[in-house]
Amino acid sequence: MWVYDKKTEYPINIKKPDPRMAKLILTQYGGPNGELAASLRYLSQRYAMPNKESKAILTDIGTEELAHFEMIGTMISQLVKDVPPKELERMGFGSIYAIHGKGVYPSDSNGVPFTAAYIESMSDPITNLNEDMAAEQKARSTYEFLINMADDPDVIEPLRFLREREVVHYQRFGEALRIVQEAMRRKKMYYKPNNPAGLAVNPNPDIKDIVEKLNMANPVNPNPVSPLNIHNIPGPILPDTKQDNKKKQ
Amino acid sequence: MDGKNELLEQIRATDFALIELNLFLDTHPSDENALKDFRMLAETREKLYRQFTQKYGPLKAVDGATSDCWLWINDPWPWDQMKWEELKGGMANVGLRQENRVSD
Repeated sequence: MWVYDKKTEYPINIKKPDPRMAKLILTQYGGPNGELAASLRYLSQRYAMPNKESKAILTDIGTEELAHFEMIGTMISQLVKDVPPKELERMGFGSIYAIHGKGVYPSDSNGVPFTAAYIESMSDPITNLNEDMAAEQKARSTYEFLINMADDPDVIEPLRFLREREVVHYQRFGEALRIVQEAMRRKKMYYKPNNPAGLAVNPNPDIKDIVEKLNMANPVNPNPVSPLNIHNIPGPILPDTKQDNKKKQ
Repeated sequence: MDGKNELLEQIRATDFALIELNLFLDTHPSDENALKDFRMLAETREKLYRQFTQKYGPLKAVDGATSDCWLWINDPWPWDQMKWEELKGGMANVGLRQENRVSD
């Protein structure tokens, strides 16, 4: 369950209203790469995670995204505060004002309502974590676009903070992906699924070659190919490493 | 009586009462009786919470600050179905691993 702290994660005090910026920042509230999408994505994907590190990181980042959702909402509300409707209209906020007034509604910058179609949540943890890393990069880019269009330090500073958080989250998801891949590889390599005793089986040289080729074809990836890719190949399971052999005996 | 599950149930029940009073007080901020009950239950909760986290590990990440190792990530998570009996040994078993479970 959750508990609310009566503070924003990073201070927000915008003295100069700017409806133009409010409309642009709206996309990080309820847009495709926004904080609401991020939070719901991670908090929904948690259930598919196979080990404690990945369960923890999705829970904790999903929680922090809710704090970012609050920061963005705070910014939007301050940016339109006390601005007369005519001025809102002149500054480009009219199409949003026509629908919601000054209400903070989860939509993108064009007023398109939030949709869960922005996110995915699958039973495959590798798929989920790859989506999460991409999502953090997309959010980082979005914050950079917003910073490019902003001129008030009161607006730029929180945006810079949020951009930094995307970078950190990306890093942590990358580590979680590595941890999950290693855990899955260990499991898949030792045990034949239809062998309840979990006895080690003879390595199949054909499959070994395939995996080595795949890993060689992708040298930038520090993590060898996911065992999921070869999950459905029938017959003996992959050879394991020396270290793993020792552990098994 | 002081098993992990029993203690957690007590915290859960106390928390729920506190949530109810919280909501009630939000719209009745000057109700003295509700405030008195809230104060009393908050105290009870504080005690139960301290007792639980000292014995069974953190319920919030910050609760783990006094420990030498990072207990926060340890299983079970709330959606895990584990036999609580397995964990009745307290902190000694907090590191219990339930690794390598793969969905599907």
